[in-house]
Amino acid sequence: MTTDRSYPANGKQRQFDALVRSLSGDLFRYAYWLCGDEALAHDLTQETFLRAWRALDDLRETAAAKAWLITILRREHARLYERKTPQFADIDEVDVPEERDAQLPEFAGEEGLIRSAMLKLDHKYREPLLMQVLGGFSCDEIARELNITPAAVMTQVFRARQKLKAILAPDRPHGDVVELS
Amino acid sequence: MNCLEFRRRLNIDPQAGGEFAQHRAECARCAEAFARASGFEKSLRSALDIPTPANLAESILFAQATQERISRRRFPRHTAWFSAAAAAVLAVGVGVYVQAKPLPEAAVDHLNKEAFILAKTQPITDESIRKAFAEFGVTINKIPAGSSFVACCPVGKYVAVHLVVPESDGPVTVLYLVDDQHERRQDFIREGWQGRSVPLAHGTLVLLGHDAAHFDELESSWTAAIQAATFKA
Repeated sequence: MTTDRSYPANGKQRQFDALVRSLSGDLFRYAYWLCGDEALAHDLTQETFLRAWRALDDLRETAAAKAWLITILRREHARLYERKTPQFADIDEVDVPEERDAQLPEFAGEEGLIRSAMLKLDHKYREPLLMQVLGGFSCDEIARELNITPAAVMTQVFRARQKLKAILAPDRPHGDVVELS
Repeated sequence: MNCLEFRRRLNIDPQAGGEFAQHRAECARCAEAFARASGFEKSLRSALDIPTPANLAESILFAQATQERISRRRFPRHTAWFSAAAAAVLAVGVGVYVQAKPLPEAAVDHLNKEAFILAKTQPITDESIRKAFAEFGVTINKIPAGSSFVACCPVGKYVAVHLVVPESDGPVTVLYLVDDQHERRQDFIREGWQGRSVPLAHGTLVLLGHDAAHFDELESSWTAAIQAATFKA
């Protein structure tokens, strides 16, 4: 769907339009893998862009736009959990993610197995892997964003891949270093 | 780089270049391991690449346009003063007057840019229509049947609920500008489109189509639906 934007047709608005059109898909995917919920990912993506609009003057380099948006998105996600208060529900009414996801078409087939496995990964492994695979960031860039050392990032993405492979094929060994003979 | 370091690196950053790529080119067994890992990386990339919701970018732009509009409304004096000052500077500086497009032109412009939506014929759910109106604080209960598309759109300087109703004589576009009430009802023709705008509740109903045969019927059903709706103050 395209937009008729005869208002307010200024540089800031054009920059924002371009930002939304080029990066909203990537941001949504990142948000989804961060929270594991499509509706929440949509809200997080929208809130991220609304905050980005208010702070657009801070964005100086086009190349830094994606990293800048991901920083905002991660803060939004963290805020969400700060605000979240414990809710209690009857056990019969709880929508167990694994059971729910198993019924969805996007969780069928080989890709579906990888998706389920991704959602089972601990956040500390999932997030650097996402930044690398979805975001295309280097280990140094991920380290800066996550405020950890590059060595820690390397360890986490290594373990993330090992854990994913172990979930996907639990009976096979996954230490590639043993295949050297 | 030796084989051990290569295999470790393979699980850290399989897209790495430099020494990593050089070792791969020189060592057949590591090249094989790389090929296996590439298969996994491809599947992983593909699995993470989940589909995005339809109209994601538009819904974000719409939320931003709405927020801007609300903040302008919240500070009307400033807005009016700055607008007047800006218009005066522009008029004096470059000798032109900037005017927003009138509603018929803005509606037809919007329609022309979204012509592909007119091809939609599959009925949409009442719930999706309720949700679109709810974005504006309008609770609508009775939904006229037959719509094949709904979205919240910026239409020129307005924001509107945009619907398409496929009729036997061609699709009719229904726009409801929730809080922009135009003073009078009018029929118009712009760029080959027949149009009608009708002041309705707090806003304006706009109908557009190549044929106006169904306008009366649609006006009547949407008038009943919107008059029965509740508007958040």
